[in-house]
Amino acid sequence: MSSSLVLRSAIPRAVARRLAVRSATQARFESTDAKYAYVPGGPILPGTVNDPTPFPAPNRAHGSYHWAFERLLSAGLVPLTAAAFVTSGTNYPVLDGILGISLVMHSHIGFDSMLVDYLHPRKFPVIGRVMTWTLRTATVATLVGIYQFNTNDIGLTELIAKAWTA
Amino acid sequence: MQSVLAATRSSQLALSKRAFSTSVRRWQAVPQQKPVLMKEFKIYRWNPEEPEQKPKLQSYQIDLNQTGPMARPFNILDALIKIKNEIDPTLTFRRSCREGICGSCAMNIDGQNTLACLCRIDRNGSKDSKIYPLPHMYIVKDLVPDMTQFYKQYKSIQPWLQNDNPPEKGEFLQSPEDRKKLDGMYECILCACCSTSCPSYWWNQDEYLGPATLMQAYRWIADSRDSYGAQRKEKLQNEMSLYRCHTIFNCSRTCPKGLNPAAAIAKIKLELAAD
Repeated sequence: MSSSLVLRSAIPRAVARRLAVRSATQARFESTDAKYAYVPGGPILPGTVNDPTPFPAPNRAHGSYHWAFERLLSAGLVPLTAAAFVTSGTNYPVLDGILGISLVMHSHIGFDSMLVDYLHPRKFPVIGRVMTWTLRTATVATLVGIYQFNTNDIGLTELIAKAWTA
Repeated sequence: MQSVLAATRSSQLALSKRAFSTSVRRWQAVPQQKPVLMKEFKIYRWNPEEPEQKPKLQSYQIDLNQTGPMARPFNILDALIKIKNEIDPTLTFRRSCREGICGSCAMNIDGQNTLACLCRIDRNGSKDSKIYPLPHMYIVKDLVPDMTQFYKQYKSIQPWLQNDNPPEKGEFLQSPEDRKKLDGMYECILCACCSTSCPSYWWNQDEYLGPATLMQAYRWIADSRDSYGAQRKEKLQNEMSLYRCHTIFNCSRTCPKGLNPAAAIAKIKLELAAD
């Protein structure tokens, strides 16, 4: 009888102690102490070791649509370049324009991919954002420049043909 | 055995002197001594208890032809165990099955991520062998990398069968063709050789899942018994988790089990694009 009483009183105490220890451990893991702060890519991981890593919010524009567009654009550039070779830009100004736009978009996606790989804003909050906006500005400026060049001057295809034979 | 030997010996004794003498020579023949073949192993060492000391390469020399209670070192894991037993007990590395099925002894050997137990020692004694932990991982000690993030990522793809409509009776049935789709993916032992060989995984390990986890994600997407394929695919619809793969193919090249994670990733991309 006395032993069962001891047992009955000992179990909840042990459970309570275990819970206290566990909550203390969890608090230590979840603390935002500056010494153990989470840095993206660093050795301190968010959450406990048993939590799965979270996924970013799903967005097809950043996922499959972006990928499919990029691949179709790359594949489309092959016949487009060949067509620019056999025709002349002055006779087919629309082709010249399409080539200019798709070339710039292709390189924008390529450069943007590099920035996401190496200078993502989550790791480089200042220089990452600066570079992203520099790239956007450069792309827009190039598009404007190509539009001006194609409408007011000899155009992209003619320029390359001239430089080729020069 | 000994009685048989003794019997043969006595019978040969009785036969002739000539037979006796040749047999004795054969019985007493010493095994052919192999020449000493010293090989240098340069092994990455870092001790967390002395954090002010930088990681260094420590050199060990062992004789590849030495026989003894332990067999001659044949693969890199044998050599590591020999060094730990006979030269330096502080050398730290993970190992378990010694036959390429547990994935514990994954490390970078002569510039290639592989399992130490499946990697033969180059028997050219004039060339040293360099052994590093898996590249671009946080190191616990010596050749032991911190795999926490890798396992957390594996957990995030929910690597278990999910189906809200289990069969009324018995088990899930699968056609041989559907079963064949899982070949080359279910064999993965999660040694992390492929993921840690991927430059994209080096740069964006916190967000990009890496080839090993992505191949397991596709293992469950491709499984005909799993009905959560759409949800599994939807989770990958972002910039980082899947699309940081730039088809570098280091993963397929390095896989010690001969699997092809790059093909699985390409199939996920195709299925997402066709969705």
